[in-house]
Amino acid sequence: MAIRHYWSMAAAAVGFRLALVLFGGNLHLASRPEVSTPLTSLRRLAEGYWLKQASMSPYSGSMYHGSPLLLSVLGPLTSSKRSGGHHAHIYCSLVFVAVDFLAAMLIRSTGRRLQMARNRSLKSLDLTRSVNSSVNVSSGDAASLIYLWNPWAIITCVGSCTSPIENLMVVIMIYGACSRLAPLAAFGYVMATHLSLYPAILILPVTLLLGYGPDSPPPKVFLLKGLSASKVGMPENEISTGQRDFRQFAWKPVLHFTLWVFIWSCYVLLLSSIILNNVGGRQEMFEKTYGFILTVKDLSPNIGVLWYFFAEVFDVFRNFFLIVFNMNIVFMVLPLAIRLKHRPCFLAFVYTAIVAMLKSYPSAGDSALYLGLLGLFANELAEMQFTFFLFFGYIGVSLLSPVMHNLWIWRGTGNANFYFATGLAYTCLQTVLVVESVSSMIKHDRKLRLLVKA
Amino acid sequence: MAFGRRHRGPSLPALPFLLQTLSLLVLLAFSSSAAAPTAASPAAMHNNNWAVLVCTSRFWFNYRHMANTLSLYRTVKRLGIPDERIILMLADDMACNPRNNYPAQVFNNENHQLNLYGDNVEVDYRGYEVTVENFLRVLTGRHESAVPRSKRLLSDEGSHILLYMTGHGGDEFLKFQDNEELQSHDLADAVKQMKEKHRFKELLIMVDTCQAATLFSQLHSPGVLAIGSSMKGENSYSHHLDSDIGVSVVDRFTFYTLAFFEKLNMYSNASLNSLFTSYNPSMLLSTAYYRMDLYERALNEVPVTNFFGSVMKTIHTDSAYTGFLAAHDTETPLSINHGMLQNEASSRRSNMEEMKEAQLRSHGWTEILQEQLEGKKTEIVVMYGLGTMGILLAISTWLSM
Amino acid sequence: MAPPARQFSLLSLLILLAAASSAVGVGEEEFTEELLLRPLPDRKVLAHFHFRSSAPPAAAAGRHHHLFPKAISQLVRNFHISELELSFTQGRWNYDQWGGYDPMSTNSAKPPGVELWAIFDIPFTEINATWKNLTHTLSGLFCASINFLESSTAFSAPRWGFKLNPGNLRYGALPREAVCTENLTPWLKLLPCRDKAGIASLLYRPSIYKGYYHSQKLKLTSSRSGGIILDQTLTVVLQPESFSGKQLHSTDGQLHPSWSMEHLFNKRLSGKCLVSKSSRIFVEIEKGIVDKSGSEILWDNEVFVLSTTPDRVLKEIDHMEVQSSSLYEYDVSNYNDEKPLDVGITWKRPRIWSCTPPPYHASRFLMGGGNERGSIALSFLSTNLQKHLFSGSNDCLRKAVVFQVVPWYVKVYYHSLEIFIDGSRKDISEVLDKIHVTPSEDKLSPGTLEMLLRFPCSMQSATLTLDFDKGFLHIDEYPPDANQGFDIPSALISFPEFNSSRTYPGTDPFFVSPLLEDFKEDGVVKSYTEVLLVPLTTPDFSMPYNVITFTCTVLALYFGSLLNALRRRIGEEESELKKTAAKRGLIPLLLAKLRGKKIDKSNSGSSPASPSGSKLLLKVVFVAIVAVVFHYLSNS
Repeated sequence: MAIRHYWSMAAAAVGFRLALVLFGGNLHLASRPEVSTPLTSLRRLAEGYWLKQASMSPYSGSMYHGSPLLLSVLGPLTSSKRSGGHHAHIYCSLVFVAVDFLAAMLIRSTGRRLQMARNRSLKSLDLTRSVNSSVNVSSGDAASLIYLWNPWAIITCVGSCTSPIENLMVVIMIYGACSRLAPLAAFGYVMATHLSLYPAILILPVTLLLGYGPDSPPPKVFLLKGLSASKVGMPENEISTGQRDFRQFAWKPVLHFTLWVFIWSCYVLLLSSIILNNVGGRQEMFEKTYGFILTVKDLSPNIGVLWYFFAEVFDVFRNFFLIVFNMNIVFMVLPLAIRLKHRPCFLAFVYTAIVAMLKSYPSAGDSALYLGLLGLFANELAEMQFTFFLFFGYIGVSLLSPVMHNLWIWRGTGNANFYFATGLAYTCLQTVLVVESVSSMIKHDRKLRLLVKA
Repeated sequence: MAFGRRHRGPSLPALPFLLQTLSLLVLLAFSSSAAAPTAASPAAMHNNNWAVLVCTSRFWFNYRHMANTLSLYRTVKRLGIPDERIILMLADDMACNPRNNYPAQVFNNENHQLNLYGDNVEVDYRGYEVTVENFLRVLTGRHESAVPRSKRLLSDEGSHILLYMTGHGGDEFLKFQDNEELQSHDLADAVKQMKEKHRFKELLIMVDTCQAATLFSQLHSPGVLAIGSSMKGENSYSHHLDSDIGVSVVDRFTFYTLAFFEKLNMYSNASLNSLFTSYNPSMLLSTAYYRMDLYERALNEVPVTNFFGSVMKTIHTDSAYTGFLAAHDTETPLSINHGMLQNEASSRRSNMEEMKEAQLRSHGWTEILQEQLEGKKTEIVVMYGLGTMGILLAISTWLSM
Repeated sequence: MAPPARQFSLLSLLILLAAASSAVGVGEEEFTEELLLRPLPDRKVLAHFHFRSSAPPAAAAGRHHHLFPKAISQLVRNFHISELELSFTQGRWNYDQWGGYDPMSTNSAKPPGVELWAIFDIPFTEINATWKNLTHTLSGLFCASINFLESSTAFSAPRWGFKLNPGNLRYGALPREAVCTENLTPWLKLLPCRDKAGIASLLYRPSIYKGYYHSQKLKLTSSRSGGIILDQTLTVVLQPESFSGKQLHSTDGQLHPSWSMEHLFNKRLSGKCLVSKSSRIFVEIEKGIVDKSGSEILWDNEVFVLSTTPDRVLKEIDHMEVQSSSLYEYDVSNYNDEKPLDVGITWKRPRIWSCTPPPYHASRFLMGGGNERGSIALSFLSTNLQKHLFSGSNDCLRKAVVFQVVPWYVKVYYHSLEIFIDGSRKDISEVLDKIHVTPSEDKLSPGTLEMLLRFPCSMQSATLTLDFDKGFLHIDEYPPDANQGFDIPSALISFPEFNSSRTYPGTDPFFVSPLLEDFKEDGVVKSYTEVLLVPLTTPDFSMPYNVITFTCTVLALYFGSLLNALRRRIGEEESELKKTAAKRGLIPLLLAKLRGKKIDKSNSGSSPASPSGSKLLLKVVFVAIVAVVFHYLSNS
């Protein structure tokens, strides 16, 4: 069931972005700590490009911490006549609008594939009527519209930072894996990891997606179904096909994927070292990008909590907490994968949300991505709890955060604790979101099983 | 929680240091037993005097703390301790402060008779250098090798040390520059280390802060004598306000200490006891506190010049001079041979350049490319590379569909 | 050796000895002391003390010194210094009023606080370590916190913006360093007579530190052939109170305050430092004061009268071959205790004159509010000097070199450099001739900006702006008075096409005056800009424990609840299974829970304690291992 007026709404979202880019005047979104982080700031990219043009390493000066590829793609766009319009990086913004649109389209087709897989498995379970009676939205359309109209995605797109590209790469990876296009998935994976490191943990869901195919109810349900079917006396072959789907791990696409990951990473490394040919080297690149991400060197405020933590923590314990916080992301990877291995796409969403919450320089763009992906599971998560609380919590945080920042930085009437408090609240909200979505997905699976049993 | 930010400087690597001290002690035991026949047994002779004078307060309204410290500085200098044996720590610049009506002068009395900031003041640590870390480093003698002699306390087992501190304090702590605290444990630790390293024979700690007595509660090292301006729960007050300068110029405890010393000269035999009895609680508005249980000698036999002046005794030795046993572990200052100069931290910058070159050289596999990539060509190659990437992506995706 | 005249007093013997040794040439240590006094247009007086000690090359004299300070020769020897300059300054030189185009402003105007630069004669790799040791030694020597310059965030290595060098120069500045008596005392101790005799005895501390500007400088040059030359200068700008009453002339303004040395320094000069080779006092009178009186300049004319007859009058010719001022010279050796010297000037009629300003008046300021970002603006205002000097065409170009060090927490975006000339934006390449940037590394090194600009001669004003972001520091990196803000050291602007050197025609070749020699040297006109004060955001200094606990709580909440959500199903399912198996009706909740627990326990196996016990053990072991590994890593 597709959403009516989908295309007009999508076009309106793109038009809104374009209007903001072209006529929005100087919104100063680029300097908002919620929008751009030291990793994604386009201003820093421009500085890196300038340094490179002056035949220095773009990483000298602790300014630029992004990928050299972005530097050579976006760099020339930043230096082109800043006096032209009031919007400093207009060409880059146009690129970002296109990138956002592309990401939304990919989310949409990912959603369609998920929908197809879901319908197929429900059909095979003979539950189509009982489950779909409650709610049935075209999740792909919903997710892409959420992504397009999410205010955070909009300010990220308009606010001159490179997160839309990072998001696009993650979406490409998920799309490629969903449609079993190993080269595409590998490309997205390599690029996303290259750009922001954290998507590296998405290797698990991607492998599962390629191996088992898109999300489906847990294999136990099919077993139950098979049992009950054999009792009732359903045709054997249908069940067996359903079961085979889940039992068999398709090695071929995974091997392809591995091969392509290798090819793409070699290619990216080669290109990076060509770009950094005479100015610094790959080692400096790794130090200044991944090292910068992992050691939380920049203590400027963002919507996370780690900046204030590392600004205040005693130097003696700094290394310890660095290890703890970085491990914290990795710790939950395996338990989640074990629990949700039949829903790799959802697993990817959970990982993205966890990364957005715990990464060292979080921004609104990361949240925009996982909120968009959340739309893909609108049907499964229909019975999620605390949605009202979460919705208004997000609104509250996004209103309070700029206010507190303004009070602290610009007016000097508040202090850092005010802003930090919103960061804490935001992290709590994300925690609730992640936990609730995981548990309601588990509940949904149980419900399916009960339905099958019944 | 309130006073949470203690310094954490030298306390962490204490273990290796303790080991070092232990081995040193063993060595010392050997050496002293070997040197036993010689006349000067290292434990006995009092042969020099040192003073560490600390003002821990920043900001103009704490003028009096600096005046306190400088008054003591003047007194001990007058009584014979030379400048090179005084470590003076002043947390702020009052003399040339723009608020000071009398530039380059500091007074501790309304009558402005005596300029404490005369022509010959040598401040060893000043401004931001006055930190708990530096203070403890001075006491324990653990400096970086580059620190000059004038900033070190080069005392030995024959030294009598006067440690005077003033500032704002509280229960078991003394604030340094409104920023960090010296706690009574830290002080006791430092004194203990000093004792173990034979850095003093006798130590007089004189503290003029609120609740000064609490700062001594953790001291356990023998040979330490402590005077505080006030008991626990009491405040130490300033003496009087100078309306020309606009702030109080001296604290009561220091004022009466100075009043006692002004009557003395280098040769007078006034005992410590007479100093202690000279403090009148009704004048101080607080009760001066003396901690004498760690000190063996009777106070009425010890002249004040034991700490506040300087001995100039000639030591007659029959054999070759073997003094300064304890001073061996401190690195010889100013020994700047080039071997020692290879300091990693500060040569990092030049190393980085080398590293870059090495990196450039290490790109063996792009060498052929490099030859063709000169200047602007790189950009083009990269653009082609990116284009190829797109095409490759499209083709591969199409093929795998 | 000159024939000694035995009937002379010891004093004259010494003088003669000194004179004789100078005739012999190099090989002897020398000391000269000089003082230059100059009335300034804004009713103030400039006093410039100059002391020079020189030592012959080390090989000639060994390590013994008669006059030359031992501390300095050790410094030079240990650190292999070929040049070094250390200055302590309080106040700011007023380039408009006190001159910006003469040797005094070029050599003696220094940025506030401490400025230190040194050129080393050692391999490049050892320079940073040597610099570190040098700063420590100097801090011990001069009772100042120069050791703060040791950290790599505090010093930079300019290549051509400050002084052309192959990379062996290090430059550092501490703009907020207090300058007071304790810095002057060790400086004076380097003089052979300290402040006990000679010109240095004039240095009465309260009067010096009351001045508007005070700059105490030490300059070392050392070479294998020439030995070590130590120049110590002290420049003060004082405000004499007019002792002849405040008389106002109705015609043209106020009479300048008359003054004398006793008036300025509370002391008269009773003879020279006996070991000095020469001891002179100059009074410099600007040409603008006596321009009508022609080439013959009398010490007693209709404008002013000097209190003592000068021994000699010198003419000063500037770079453009124009007479700029006249010098009245006094030889201190002619005076003694009975006949002390007290040079002074008494004004007879009001006079208005001005010193030559620098070609461009450079100033620097901050733009923007808030604690997140801002811009540094550097503005040049033409003083129309070249119109006076070179009345040529307007389509020429004038060079200006900018050298600026920016601490790392001011993160400058160099690509945002914009140039406005006469209010209109110009393309950077039109003005910028050469630029060299060393960007700052966080917590590692400061940023250095060296620019060579070319301004059109007709230009009236130029403004350069650079955007920056303010950094956020760790709580321990803030100074105790963090709310006061952080300083950006002065920028140095030099104008290579303008030369401030002076010449003195008519002096005989035997006349040796280091002070005037300094003035004769080719000096590029320089001016330092203001120190900028950047307020940085501060975190809450009392929060560390709260922040640690809050953050850890939130993360534990995430971890715990997610883990709980993941493993909840098993328990629930089992209890559900139990429920369905038991098929009991309505049981009170409490009872059910109790039973559920019991059943769970009995269900969990024969030894309920062992798995949880082993788990606990495992956890403890894990934590212990992590702790040991961490301890090991942090120790190594």
